[in-house]
Amino acid sequence: MKSPVILTSFLLALPLTGGAQQEAEPAPAGALPGEISQSEAIGTQPGPDRTLPKTQNPYGMDSNALAEGRRLFVWYNCYGCHGGRGGGGMGPSLRDATWLYGFSDQAIFNSIADGRRYGMPAWGTKLPAEQIWKITAYIKSMGTEFEPKAPPPNPVYPEPPPRRDIPRQQERKGAD
Amino acid sequence: MRRTRHGNSKGLGRVAGFALLGLLTLGVHAESLAQEETEPSAEREQEISFISDDGTGMRIARTPSAGPTGEWWLPALDFANSRYSQLDQVSKENVQNLEVVTTWSTGINHGHEGQPLVVGNTMYVVTPFPNYLLAFDMTKPGYALKWKFEPHPDPTAVGKACCDLVNRGAAYADGKVIYNTLDNHVVAVNAETGELAWMTKVGSADEGETMTMAPIIVKDKVLVGNSGGELGVRGWLKALDLQTGEVQWIAYNTGPDEETLMTSPDFKPYYAKDQGEDLGVKSWPPEQWKLGGSTVWGWVSYDPELDLIYYGTGNPGVWNPDLRPGANKWSLSIIARDPETGQARWAYQLVPHDAWDYDEIMENILVDMPWKGEMRKLLIHPGRTGFMYVLDRETGELLSADKYHPHTNWASGYDLDTGLPKVNEAKRTHMGQETYDICPSSTGAKEVFPSAISPRTGLVYIPAHNYCMNFQGIEANYIAGTPYLGADTMMYPGPGGYLGELIAWDVVNGKKAWGIKEQYPLQGGVLATSGDVIFYGTTDGWFKAADATNGEVLWKFKVSSGIVGNPMTYIGPDGRQYIAIYAGIGGWIGSNAFEKISADDPTAALGTTGAAANLKKVTARGSDVYVFALPEE
Repeated sequence: MKSPVILTSFLLALPLTGGAQQEAEPAPAGALPGEISQSEAIGTQPGPDRTLPKTQNPYGMDSNALAEGRRLFVWYNCYGCHGGRGGGGMGPSLRDATWLYGFSDQAIFNSIADGRRYGMPAWGTKLPAEQIWKITAYIKSMGTEFEPKAPPPNPVYPEPPPRRDIPRQQERKGAD
Repeated sequence: MRRTRHGNSKGLGRVAGFALLGLLTLGVHAESLAQEETEPSAEREQEISFISDDGTGMRIARTPSAGPTGEWWLPALDFANSRYSQLDQVSKENVQNLEVVTTWSTGINHGHEGQPLVVGNTMYVVTPFPNYLLAFDMTKPGYALKWKFEPHPDPTAVGKACCDLVNRGAAYADGKVIYNTLDNHVVAVNAETGELAWMTKVGSADEGETMTMAPIIVKDKVLVGNSGGELGVRGWLKALDLQTGEVQWIAYNTGPDEETLMTSPDFKPYYAKDQGEDLGVKSWPPEQWKLGGSTVWGWVSYDPELDLIYYGTGNPGVWNPDLRPGANKWSLSIIARDPETGQARWAYQLVPHDAWDYDEIMENILVDMPWKGEMRKLLIHPGRTGFMYVLDRETGELLSADKYHPHTNWASGYDLDTGLPKVNEAKRTHMGQETYDICPSSTGAKEVFPSAISPRTGLVYIPAHNYCMNFQGIEANYIAGTPYLGADTMMYPGPGGYLGELIAWDVVNGKKAWGIKEQYPLQGGVLATSGDVIFYGTTDGWFKAADATNGEVLWKFKVSSGIVGNPMTYIGPDGRQYIAIYAGIGGWIGSNAFEKISADDPTAALGTTGAAANLKKVTARGSDVYVFALPEE
């Protein structure tokens, strides 16, 4: 299935090349210089509104895929930037409602695969699509009942405070 | 033209040596102004004066290249990292009258660490990424912007910086303002015109390196270090030529002696544990030293008499200690080097085989003072570990290490004969097991935010905080340019019901004199003045002045955002004393005020969210410079 970017580019390409096209076959994407990205558009689509089919994550909320996605999230050091359970840090939170580059399955896949401007590496150059989809699935599960290894409760320092401190303070009081 | 500035300072003679110093400084300044064009700065360096106090017997060296009294040329005011100003127009008698003179927004809503410089009639401010340098004309009402220098750093560096996009300030020498950009460039900017004098790339963001520290300039060398200990980089200190920006020497903090510059016959570590060949290789598993962190993102000091520079190093890479058996030298170390060649004179590793991510990049405060009946040249290092380290800076001998953070439990103390900590093995972290309730947390009993010292009181004023943590070592996978942690950490408030404390530490007696407990952590530096006032800021945005002798808070003012910067003071063109501070929350703990961190994940922001999620409720991003003064008479 074609992404909106390709369709839009295709339409733009027509006026440039249409006159020379004698055959009925559509102009190849290559009619414009350079490669057309397979990325899903981050921006709005110019022109008339139309609904295009979205690529769905093939793994959905499959529990095995989510567990594997969590493992890969740690193994590829995603947790170092995005937080131990995705709550953010060097990079933005993946648990909150803000999505800088889109929140569809494909948009998250693309952010991982293509990288983003402020230091997000382009993992598509190293990882198979299947692993990126599993990480995508894990990210989508955050904050839902399906999330593997959900955030632990915030620890508190155990009360009473360390035992050794108490008798010492009492002794001092007694001496006064 | 600027003579009136010094003439106005009343009571300079109150402390023995001050009157003399004032004269000396004036004389030297006049001379250096006249000869600036011809005389190399190296020769001026030789003229050393001292600020001293008969009561405490403490003295601090000052050199002309640290700037005349009333100006602020170096990040910490002087090479000794004292953050002690001789200005006393603002005193504990009148500080309650301070009022805002001007404010400026830098427009960059990230952590405003560091401090402005004041050179002549100009104030210089370095912003967080994209690291603008702003020059303000202090003769104009409201401080008009003279110019703005934009270095255009590579945005890739944003995603490699562990702890917000901070910058800890600039240094001035020889007509140039010099600072580091997040994407590893050292830039020298013409202080008059704002034009680039030179720019040198010294590190690689693709490999995980960034730069956040403030350089110092010793004679003709600009000294800079890298950040990136969370990304498996290899720490270094580099010296660049002040005139050209060319790299003169590189001292790595891990690796063979040829590369750590530890080959000189004068290299004599005090303790047996630190003596031997190629310890920067042998104290690691094979090849691990190449990813061994030990970066230099804090402060550098210089002793002009001994002609030695001092700095502390960061955590070893990777965080998980079981993945790097050995002492992991020279992480968590204090190293003394010859600024001319970079050759080490001594090195002391405070903590071998760190298991807690205790970076020891803290300020090293250099003072001479009586120590057990004998005048000693001290190096005072308030450790992230919760211990106050006092060393002999000629030899590297540890003279004392007392707990200044009362809940410190990873070690019970130090063996002064061996220089080794007495580690509480129950608190040593390991792979695959959670170690609970370690105090202090990785963020330390204090962070990089610098202390001040006052020769009048003999006290060190430490901006401390009170956090503990749970820590679990997990598997780690080195991928260049990504975090290299191998740890799952959660930090949280320590016992006692407070998060911050301004601790006044009696160096000679090794005990706390007094403290000011704060509800929120202290993540900004301290300024001490001869008006017996100390200034500090809180993460919830209160700028405070306290009596340097007893800690009574004398004045406070609520600024626009949490404070993670360092107060500084100077004499303005009108001869009055001013005090400046940044308001702009950020940094490691401070970044928890940002919208991009989710409060429901205590492991977020490298484990600090559990400790500081409440910051969101009391502050938000800001970017302001505040300037205060007493009302005009």
